[in-house]
Amino acid sequence: MQPMTEFDPAPLIPRNARILDSRRVTAKERHFRLALEAPLGHRPGQFVMLSLPGVGEAPISISCGPGDEREVELVIRACGSLTHALHQRQAGDVVGLRGPFGNGFDLQDFEQRDTVIVAGGLGLAPLRSLIEPLAARPRRYGHVTLISGCRTPADELYRDKLRAWAQLPHVDVIRLVNDTAHQPWDGEVGLVTAPIPRLDLEIPNTLAVLCGPPVMYKFVIMALAARGMQNEQIYVDLERRMRCGIGKCGHCQINQVYCCRSGPVFRFDEVATLPEALT
Amino acid sequence: MTSFLANEQALEDWLRRQAERHEVYWPQRMGKASYAFQRLRRRSPLRLDRLDDAPASKPFRASACVVPPGRLLAPMQELLYRFEPDDDGGYRFIPCLDPTERLIAGIRPCDLKAIHLMDAVNAEGVPDAHYLTRRAHTTLIASNCLQPCDAHCFCEAAGSLDWREGADVFLTPQADGQQLVECLTPRGEALCADAGFSPCDAPEERRQSAEAHRPQPFGRQFDAPLVKVMAAVDETWDSPVWDKHVERCFSCGTCNLVCPTCYCFDMRDDLDIEHPGCGSRSRCADGCMLPEFAEVAGGHNFRATPAARQRHRVKRKLAYLPTQFADGSFCVGCGRCGHQCTVDIDIFDIANDLAAASEAPHAADD
Ligand SMILES: Cc1cc2nc3c(=O)[nH]c(=O)nc-3n(C[C@H](O)[C@H](O)[C@H](O)COP(=O)(O)OP(=O)(O)OC[C@H]3O[C@@H](n4cnc5c(N)ncnc54)[C@H](O)[C@@H]3O)c2cc1C
Ligand code: SF4
Ligand code: SF4
Ligand code: FES
Repeated sequence: MQPMTEFDPAPLIPRNARILDSRRVTAKERHFRLALEAPLGHRPGQFVMLSLPGVGEAPISISCGPGDEREVELVIRACGSLTHALHQRQAGDVVGLRGPFGNGFDLQDFEQRDTVIVAGGLGLAPLRSLIEPLAARPRRYGHVTLISGCRTPADELYRDKLRAWAQLPHVDVIRLVNDTAHQPWDGEVGLVTAPIPRLDLEIPNTLAVLCGPPVMYKFVIMALAARGMQNEQIYVDLERRMRCGIGKCGHCQINQVYCCRSGPVFRFDEVATLPEALT
Repeated sequence: MTSFLANEQALEDWLRRQAERHEVYWPQRMGKASYAFQRLRRRSPLRLDRLDDAPASKPFRASACVVPPGRLLAPMQELLYRFEPDDDGGYRFIPCLDPTERLIAGIRPCDLKAIHLMDAVNAEGVPDAHYLTRRAHTTLIASNCLQPCDAHCFCEAAGSLDWREGADVFLTPQADGQQLVECLTPRGEALCADAGFSPCDAPEERRQSAEAHRPQPFGRQFDAPLVKVMAAVDETWDSPVWDKHVERCFSCGTCNLVCPTCYCFDMRDDLDIEHPGCGSRSRCADGCMLPEFAEVAGGHNFRATPAARQRHRVKRKLAYLPTQFADGSFCVGCGRCGHQCTVDIDIFDIANDLAAASEAPHAADD
């Protein structure tokens, strides 16, 4: 038995989460649905620390919209020891989970506003947690333009969802690949910056949200600024190395700011003056 | 608060009595030139002259103590939890908190301030239960400095020479060879209550008259006041000074590992081979000078060059953390990083050069 002490270690201790299903979505990514002991109560844009005891732990974005289900959905790219091991796990297996962590998006900011969402590659996984509530309540949140880009057609995530959202009257979806790689493709070819100049936007009433690989942010922000968007209208969902998720391990620091705690979602004017924000 | 005078024998007997109830740690000489805080065993030598700053003795030197005493509160590697299979195909996660009663004696003011800063860091935001549990069960006995440790020391310049907060008992050597024993907290009072020391009035005067014999200046001094040095570090982003001081840097991370205010960590999992499905997760000291510290999946490194990492380390000590917390510089001037770096890179020189560069006339035009 552990002696009782006056301090609560819970933030660093995982809880059990059972895999309900794990489905391959691309060559490198699998979609997971996990059963939880209690609802996460998360905000869009938050993340969890996912672990396999004995293997390791990593920050993974929550991909489903907020709700009170005792379930969570994640998209995991195999790129290292933990993520490869996770891909081997099957329905019924148990993983460890801590969180939710980070600030996430405040849905109130999006009320009565139009939103341009720019997702590069795996960036669509966290942004789906925002798209779901925005798409579900058109009267509350306004028009949504989703620009989703990836390397080749085979790398596209959530193809069914992208098509379903495109059917909604208040949602426009622009799907791009860098290169068709000789695969069948019914979207556009180019970078996610390409459609921005032609979008029909009522700029003063529009917000933009970005998530993607590190190289993407600067160019998308330049394209949005060229349309007259101010830093206060742009939200960035940033990635950093993270070990604790609670502002202690130091890995995620952007200058003096802890990405895990003050982010990973920032209104761009909050970080625009930090030299380490985008590079 | 009560104060006493104690001779060496009385202090030694008292500390040995404490060792019957607590784990008592004490700086012990390791080899020729270094020290380590070691558990006092029944027969371990306890030479109080190491606390005594009389020039003839060989006093304990903070910067020669490679691992700072604060690592007893935040070990280089620390168990966070154990896990074992539960009956349902999942895991039982068992937190490992350590409420062992400890007493650390011989802490120098620089390391005492560092512990005070780590208390603040660990209590702020999401409190760190592992650290705070250890801390709540630890008594600190600090020992005044009347001589600078060595050529690396700059505690006075960094503003930590006169630090007392956080100590339960504070010792100051007296000219007659006795120690002034000041109890600064109720815990310190309780500890000294039945020590058999002689009561002493006017402790303030006694401490100050001992301190009056400190050499002037005490250790290395910056060329500008500390606030100016900190402002220069805060305001400088692009500067040749960063590059100049990393030309020979190996990115070995030693400067992080020995620093009493470096607390970044990595995680590691261990499996228990004898018990399938069982194991543990620990955190271990990590350092922002190590190349992969800020690297993410996909290979992008947010601080890819040694100069960018050195800038981060120096800014954390002298700008970032001091803005977030109340007690000034997070570099306490212990001199360890400069002392232990194989290529003599010293935060003192970096900070001093930055201050000089920002004073230089051309900097004003930027
Ligand atoms: C807020 C946030 C949300 C994320 N969301 C997702 C997601 O939804 N899906 C997904 O697949 N990935 C996501 N990631 C990235 C994911 O955390 C890394 O891919 C994962 O940590 C790699 O762990 P590993 O043990 O498999 O790799 P390792 O074997 O540890 O290393 C492989 C690579 O990952 C990098 N890396 C290692 N540890 C970390 C870390 N703690 N944080 C970031 N990079 C690291 C290494 O530099 C190396 O390049 C997210 C990262 C952050 C910070
Ligand atoms: S400054 Fe010195 S101790 Fe620090 S990483 Fe560089 S070589 Fe190592
Ligand atoms: S930065 Fe160097 S001198 Fe300053 S507290 Fe840390 S180890 Fe000591
Ligand atoms: S992830 Fe540890 S401080 Fe942010």
